[in-house]
Amino acid sequence: MKKTLPLFLLLALSSVHAADHQWLLKQSTLTYHVSHPLHQSEGVSHAARGKGICHDGQCDFLIAVPVKTFDSGDSNRDLHMIQVTRGAEFPMVTVRTRLPESAAGSATVKADIEVQFAGQTAHYQQVAFELVTQGNETKISGIIPTTLADFKIDPPSLLTIPVKNEIPVRVEMTWSPQ
Amino acid sequence: MREEAGKVLFGVSLIAFLVLTWHPLHAQDANAGLSGTVTDSSGKAVPNAKVSVKNLSTGQSTETQTDSAGVYTVSNLAPGDYEVSASAEGIGTSVSKVTLAAGAQQPLSVTLTLDQPAPVTPSAAPSDNLPNAPSPAKTEPSLEDLGFSKAETQSNTAQQALLDKRTRMLKIHQRMGLITTIPMIASVITSLNAGGKSEGTASRDLHVALGSLTGDLYGITAWYAIRAPRIAGTETRGPIRFHKAMAWIHGPGMILTPILGAMAFEQKNNGQRVHGIAQAHGPVAIVTAGAFGASLLSVSLKF
Repeated sequence: MKKTLPLFLLLALSSVHAADHQWLLKQSTLTYHVSHPLHQSEGVSHAARGKGICHDGQCDFLIAVPVKTFDSGDSNRDLHMIQVTRGAEFPMVTVRTRLPESAAGSATVKADIEVQFAGQTAHYQQVAFELVTQGNETKISGIIPTTLADFKIDPPSLLTIPVKNEIPVRVEMTWSPQ
Repeated sequence: MREEAGKVLFGVSLIAFLVLTWHPLHAQDANAGLSGTVTDSSGKAVPNAKVSVKNLSTGQSTETQTDSAGVYTVSNLAPGDYEVSASAEGIGTSVSKVTLAAGAQQPLSVTLTLDQPAPVTPSAAPSDNLPNAPSPAKTEPSLEDLGFSKAETQSNTAQQALLDKRTRMLKIHQRMGLITTIPMIASVITSLNAGGKSEGTASRDLHVALGSLTGDLYGITAWYAIRAPRIAGTETRGPIRFHKAMAWIHGPGMILTPILGAMAFEQKNNGQRVHGIAQAHGPVAIVTAGAFGASLLSVSLKF
């Protein structure tokens, strides 16, 4: 009994440490920016959903947003964007990252992220995000330096002039622990 | 002594033979097989469909094709979990999982369907090189966890084809619209010497030729816009609304202008002054060209 008690306590403690807890995306604004000599356009989506599952001090995050929810204020442009990004064939943009639980207390965090979009997967290393924790919520903002070439997307053109390759995506999210 | 050595050698050889041959023979006995029929969504057998059987433990794949009756057979499979993928171009795809027991001949018939969901599992290989990249751990959330409906995440190749066709046609519409502006501007310029007190016919003929060319190119431009597929459930918003509204001015204008122009042309050729409704040819043409230009600019420049 004397020998088994410490073992039991050790097992109990380790199971507590390994217990999962989660983060849930409460609000989000994702904005892509497209540059053209005649136009500067932005498409905004508030339809992202996300979840983070923490285990052993590490949290795996998944954020997903339907391509068709991005609104640039011009339905014709949005349809063209869905077409060039093959948004009907690959209707979701997914972003995955893994962060240490301790990152929640930092002012900035650098994350290696994986983006699946238009049937392609791109990896971005050490993308900087700012974190602001207010009460039970953590607000995260940053810019993912995406390009059309990363996803093998032919640049759409206007008046035969193609848009720039860079389409940075600004991310503003509010997460709360569950 | 030599006889003894021969016996030992024979014994060792026999043991070695048994050791070397027993395992494959045993394995062959234990090997399983998989067979079935590949059908399309109407239940019709699909000949020449590609069937791939992947061992989920080893990653090793075996590929085969269905025969004329849509039947496939794969033998000599080790017991274990397998992913069976079947596909036929233009008919669809199917992915099934099956567990094969030792020696079992497992039947597995599959139905091909179009619009399989897009694969969403990230490739693990590049992540391995990243210090805090997504992990392949089972704790990782999935799209299902986020509560998206199947309709939201499902690939729609028919819709993509429609969007592709729409873009192709609207690209031609855009280019033809730009080309149309050249003879349109030229016909406006030549109109200065085509009417009024001018008695010469050369400028008038040139104006008529340029006007006709403008009309033909405009017709082609309009045809590609009108015939471009409509995407159901899309609400028209933004500058495209103005672009379309302008078409209600320059469209009828492009019909009226040549009719009025022909009347004015005839009157001039008869030595008359342009009179009556034909006098409206110039103003209608200017309004038409103005609406066309505004329509073009509305989708080209951001105001």
